[in-house]
Amino acid sequence: MPDIRLIRDWCGLILSWLACSLTMAGCISIIIFLFIRGSAQMNPEFIFCAPIPSLNQDMSGGISTPIIGTILLTLIATVIAVPWAVGTAVYLSEYAGNRSGVRVFRLAIDVLSGVPTIVIAIFGLAIFSLPQMSFLSSVVEGVEGVNRAFGRSFLVAGATMAVMILPFVIRVCEEALYAVPLNYRESALAVGASRWQSISTVVLPAARNGIISGVILGMGRIIGDTAIVWLTLGGTLRMTGLQPWWQPNHWLSTLQNTGSTLTSYIYFASPAGEGNMPEKAFGAALVLIIIIIFLNIAVDLLGNMGNKIREN
Amino acid sequence: MLIDRASLINRDLDPSLPTYSKPRSYRKLIDGSNETIVTFLTILSASMVLFIFAFIVIKSLGVISANGIALITSTGFDQQIRNAYSAPQAATAWQFGLFGLILGTLTTTLGALIIAVPTGIGTALVIAELAPVGIRYTLQTVVRLLASIPSVIYGLAGLMVVVPFIQEAFISSSMQIKYIDRFQLSGNSMLAGILVLSIMIVPIIITLSVDAINAVPFRYKEASLALGLSYWRTIVKVILPAAKSGIFAGIILAMGRAIGEAIALAMVCGGIGNIPRVSDGMVALLTPVLTLASAIVNKSEMMSVKSIESALFACGLILLITSIIISLSARLVEYLVIRREGRA
Repeated sequence: MPDIRLIRDWCGLILSWLACSLTMAGCISIIIFLFIRGSAQMNPEFIFCAPIPSLNQDMSGGISTPIIGTILLTLIATVIAVPWAVGTAVYLSEYAGNRSGVRVFRLAIDVLSGVPTIVIAIFGLAIFSLPQMSFLSSVVEGVEGVNRAFGRSFLVAGATMAVMILPFVIRVCEEALYAVPLNYRESALAVGASRWQSISTVVLPAARNGIISGVILGMGRIIGDTAIVWLTLGGTLRMTGLQPWWQPNHWLSTLQNTGSTLTSYIYFASPAGEGNMPEKAFGAALVLIIIIIFLNIAVDLLGNMGNKIREN
Repeated sequence: MLIDRASLINRDLDPSLPTYSKPRSYRKLIDGSNETIVTFLTILSASMVLFIFAFIVIKSLGVISANGIALITSTGFDQQIRNAYSAPQAATAWQFGLFGLILGTLTTTLGALIIAVPTGIGTALVIAELAPVGIRYTLQTVVRLLASIPSVIYGLAGLMVVVPFIQEAFISSSMQIKYIDRFQLSGNSMLAGILVLSIMIVPIIITLSVDAINAVPFRYKEASLALGLSYWRTIVKVILPAAKSGIFAGIILAMGRAIGEAIALAMVCGGIGNIPRVSDGMVALLTPVLTLASAIVNKSEMMSVKSIESALFACGLILLITSIIISLSARLVEYLVIRREGRA
């Protein structure tokens, strides 16, 4: 008679491996599925044409403006979030110490990282719909008795995204700053640098790789987010500013008006949205996943580079 | 030339002497102002939660004062939304009941956790303990990729694969006829939502569990093996209990993600605030549901109506309060474990 304990052990091991292969199969099959369904769409026309509102899937154009929308939105949000997050991380790691007030700050930032993106999205909508904020989007006109801003534009969505990624970038930057050895700071102070000089010329450059990978992780979250885009960018297919939107003198108007990103395009084009052209959605999803994979590789490379530097 | 002591100290103040760096007063100014700036930035980031809370409370006050506690105990969200949307501007309909949405959120989250927790812990065990060291890194890379796939792609894949699969495998036309007066069984269902959610939250559980398992001191394992326990017994009796706090933190965070997920669920869940009935048996899994977060996405086009806007902000308020409680309890679990183990 076989030992019952041996059977139990083997069952446990087999179940664990089964769980692991299930997860791996899930991930790999999603990506392969996207590659198979999306690669049919991959041609220059799809990438470089603007989307055309059409019921016929073959005539609905490409995804050039969603790609540009993604890039624009990522840039705006990064420009807002990075100085903010790096400043906060510098304060928390260099100035704050472990006072109880600072612990409240840390807790608040921790809580912020747990707030669902959809809640941040409606918060953005609420705050940027205030009439005082109309310089970021446009003023609602023609409706009797309504005095508020439209609250949907690239600038609004960028600012809201910045709030969303803030806690993540802060956390990664803080860890990067903690990883800088204490004797770097001591040596900088010993040769006569002031506190800020030691931070800006010694500590921050030493933590550069970590900060950059934090920024890239934040960008990944911006690129992949849909809820904020759908609510605060408006989810229109095309740029709705003054046309043609790419002319330099129309840039401000483009930024103040609605547009789309890859994620909102996928949502629009999926059977759940109004567009219902799933093949286009798969094409856009493939482009999106390729961008995400590249960002992941970049973070990996940066991490390896950091390890090598530390080993030397 | 000899410099006297006073001029050495006051070199910054004496313009006739050569300066080797920027004057000390200037440096002090820069240092001070930069410290002020980063302090201000920190206060701003920390108070963001308060801003969010305040704005969402203000916006949802209308619905809260009109309904009171009935807002979270009564049902009929779909009909109320339709009424409010078609109501004339003079007589805005303020009556809303979010109980169906709360129930939808709870059922999908619980279902996803039931699938994702065992899968996640099993995968974490493989990555941290069982797999050959050479492939651990590869497995972790795949998990990280899984974590960074955008939710809209999960929604798309769910809508194009999971939903048709459920329709073909579980739903017959006789069932559709039986339930047609309440809703249409189309595969857009709670089950689809649970499956999509579970694969979305599994990487969170895996990542935190792997960290927790790796943090268990190696000598625990050695001691247990030396006492003659088998490897699997060591894992179950020694490693998992020692890694408990990290695994719990992972489960709590995964729960937070599941509750707040909007887009993927809005795509696959059917968008009807239906209350699953126990009397339906397993068919309850195939009924469409609506969660708090996906309701905001689904009904966002109707936000121009003031009462609907307020109701959606009330959904957001419930989500926000839940997420704050979840974050705080994750911290609490961590704190309690640290205190009990006497590490603090």
